[in-house]
Amino acid sequence: MIVRYLLAALVAGLFSGVLMTAAQEARVVPLILHAEEFEGGDEAAPAAEGTTPGTGTEGAAQTQDHSSLGAVILDVASALSPVSVAYAHEGEDHEEGGIMFGMSRFSGTLLANLVTGAGFGLLLAGFSLVSGHPITVANGALWGAAGWLAVHMLPAIGLPPELPGFPAADLGDRQVWWIATVILSAAGLYLLFLKQNIVAKVIGIVLIAAPQVYGAPQPGDISSNVPAVLGAEFAVAALATTLFFWIVLGLSLGFANEKIAKAA
Amino acid sequence: MAVSTTSSVTLSANDRLVAGVFALLLGAFLVFGAGLANSAVLHDTAHDTRHSYGFPCH
Repeated sequence: MIVRYLLAALVAGLFSGVLMTAAQEARVVPLILHAEEFEGGDEAAPAAEGTTPGTGTEGAAQTQDHSSLGAVILDVASALSPVSVAYAHEGEDHEEGGIMFGMSRFSGTLLANLVTGAGFGLLLAGFSLVSGHPITVANGALWGAAGWLAVHMLPAIGLPPELPGFPAADLGDRQVWWIATVILSAAGLYLLFLKQNIVAKVIGIVLIAAPQVYGAPQPGDISSNVPAVLGAEFAVAALATTLFFWIVLGLSLGFANEKIAKAA
Repeated sequence: MAVSTTSSVTLSANDRLVAGVFALLLGAFLVFGAGLANSAVLHDTAHDTRHSYGFPCH
């Protein structure tokens, strides 16, 4: 029986991941690609000033200003290829990257969405099983909305969804704050929504507010070459598509759970 | 029977906890791998997904 509940979570998560990929391709990914045309101008500009002034006008063609010959060849190859690769980003000493198994950028995104969907499906199912509050078709959308609040909306107050090329604080600091905020928000929402005790509800609100009061790590310099309009459009698009993902996930998990309960 | 079409009714409390904890651990592992792991290959493969989900990225 245990395995069947895990399978239900996996199926719901994979299904939601596929739909999420379609939603992303419609709006979010085009904005990411657009932003990448501006990305890296910050780092490229100082180097360009000393050598060839005036190259700024060709910024779009030079967004990936790598120094080594191999990287240049890769840039040329990627410019000629119909399949664009997800770049390792400017100004970081990356180990050798590249997409797994030589997949296209879209396949990589689809695979990542499937894995992420399965992961969030399992987390949602696990939360429901441990807390003893079943997810059904009737309450699935609310479960999904709560998951979206905990994982996306509340962390986005401190760390809004970023486009490539946006200024940001140290990655490790942001990840720690993000993980802590997701856990505290989930615990807070649980106390707020699923406990009747007024003290528990108050503690829930305190838990939700705590990471926001503490504050997310912010970058020292917030200048960016990426137009602000793109950032605003992207933040809304990212939050809207993730809300769609979570509601689909909650509903499909409720549906799968009820199928299992009937079959048992 | 409509009332009992819920996910926890058919599991004992113990099984429910085992299934729940296992689901949480496996789910956290998958989300960490796709969204947060500091590997260039994982990052590049999941790049657009990481941005779309608002994971802290590069």
